[in-house]
Amino acid sequence: MSAIQAGAAAAVAAPSVYAGGSGVIALGVLLAGFGMFRQALLRDQVRLYAVQSALISVLAILVAAVRHLPDLYVLAALSAALKVVIVPIVLRRLLRGVGRAGEEEPSRGWTEIAGSGSLSLANTVLLAIAVAAFGFFSVRALGIRSAVLPPTTLEISVSVVLVAFVLMIMRRDVASQAIGFLSLENGISLAALVVAAGLPLILEVAFLFDLLVAVVVFELLIRVHHGRVESLSTADLTSLRG
Amino acid sequence: MSAALPIPFIQFLQVATVGLGAPGISGVIAKVEARLQGRAGPRVLQPYYDLAKLLRKEALAPDGAGWVFLAAPVGAAACYLTVPLLIPVLTTFGLPLGYMGDILGGGLILALASFAVAVAAAATGSPYAQLGASRAKTFSAITEPVVLFVIFVVALITGTDLPYALAATVRSSASQIVRPAHLLAAAALFMVILAETARIPVETHTGTNEFGMIEEARPFEHSGPYFALLKWGSWMKQLILYTILINVFVAPWGLAATAQAPAVVLAIVALLGKATLLGIVVAVIDNSFAKLRLFKITEFVSAAFLLAVLGVFTLYLGGG
Repeated sequence: MSAIQAGAAAAVAAPSVYAGGSGVIALGVLLAGFGMFRQALLRDQVRLYAVQSALISVLAILVAAVRHLPDLYVLAALSAALKVVIVPIVLRRLLRGVGRAGEEEPSRGWTEIAGSGSLSLANTVLLAIAVAAFGFFSVRALGIRSAVLPPTTLEISVSVVLVAFVLMIMRRDVASQAIGFLSLENGISLAALVVAAGLPLILEVAFLFDLLVAVVVFELLIRVHHGRVESLSTADLTSLRG
Repeated sequence: MSAALPIPFIQFLQVATVGLGAPGISGVIAKVEARLQGRAGPRVLQPYYDLAKLLRKEALAPDGAGWVFLAAPVGAAACYLTVPLLIPVLTTFGLPLGYMGDILGGGLILALASFAVAVAAAATGSPYAQLGASRAKTFSAITEPVVLFVIFVVALITGTDLPYALAATVRSSASQIVRPAHLLAAAALFMVILAETARIPVETHTGTNEFGMIEEARPFEHSGPYFALLKWGSWMKQLILYTILINVFVAPWGLAATAQAPAVVLAIVALLGKATLLGIVVAVIDNSFAKLRLFKITEFVSAAFLLAVLGVFTLYLGGG
């Protein structure tokens, strides 16, 4: 027993239940970002994005309930309606006609995007861990304190942004790149929740609707790309290099 | 007040619980797995009958196999019987021999057992046994970093690397359970256990498909009592790993806080019950996922590695 008591002094103290729980939800967002490296079907990729967005809404509700910020309930509801329901539906509807070239039956959202990574999955994950570590350590060095959430969540949010960057860089299909961009936006929402939970609601809502514009623009780009090269892969674009 | 059991006897009971309970847990898992697949399945006690049958049979050794071939099963079983002395199987308080080794010590003994089996497999000259041994060593080399990072998490949470200390910390408050680092480490350890106990995303546990075999291929050339020892060893290894996950990470409740006989008996029942529950979870996973191709196992391990590394990050940087 004495060994246990001697060790307790050197231990990292546990955060409160609230801080721990919010950390777990934020980590869920990050893990969903990592999960996107693996998804082989467009439908699953969109579904994972919806899960990631839902986690952010859950975190917003948690913050609203514990820190008494009623504005955040509205934000959580709006964010859930937009990112969990509308964006995935829009993405799926617009991509319905997009399949592999020469495919008999245009896919019903089953479009395969597997094998579009430039590195093997395990290597990509290791690379992303290194990049996420950079996010963790750099934000730690800034020493930003938030009134509503523990610092871990801010570090995680920056890692979410960086991991989404890795996704956009490593996957060579336009759909994953678009999802990567949207997931990057999720990271920024998370950071906004940490740093500026008390931001005026109107600003937050304006950002959310910007996202809708981004989705439409992405859809347009994907369709134009698909119309030209008959595939979602961006590998063909390298031939444009001078 | 009922009589307090002598401490050395409790120490012996820890080993006996793991040694005698392990085939039963394995039997329950096999039964549940079969029921989930719509088969009647073997009796829950089948592993005990298997052991009894194998112990009565004649032992054969391949031509040219040396003493290592025969000594390894005994050595491995001895290792697996040693580890329960070091981990909290029945009690919350450390037993006298419990501080002989920390988590790294326990891991070292488990690795020694696996090494002995691999050497014996290599000594046979049989291609399948050698293939199993070489694969088992390859994949244990890539799961090793995950285990190390899990140990780092334990060390950062408790300030020591004694399994008793983490179990005590987890019991101490709810905030210790929901902290992200603890959940991540437990999840990573669970994934490692799936890999180490030859379970489905990594390896099919039953059947004779040699191409996918890793752990299961190693005792191919052993027979009779030696094969029985290897079988028993792998069941004990499974229960030991379950015990570490349950009594150190996930649910360190129901352990005996005193040396009173009722508390210790309750602890034995609780451990076997919790291990059965975990076994059912494992059987469900077994039935709901496809086996990964051999070269995709790195992806599974990289996911476990991700969880363990994030656990260390959140602890080291955010106090999570």
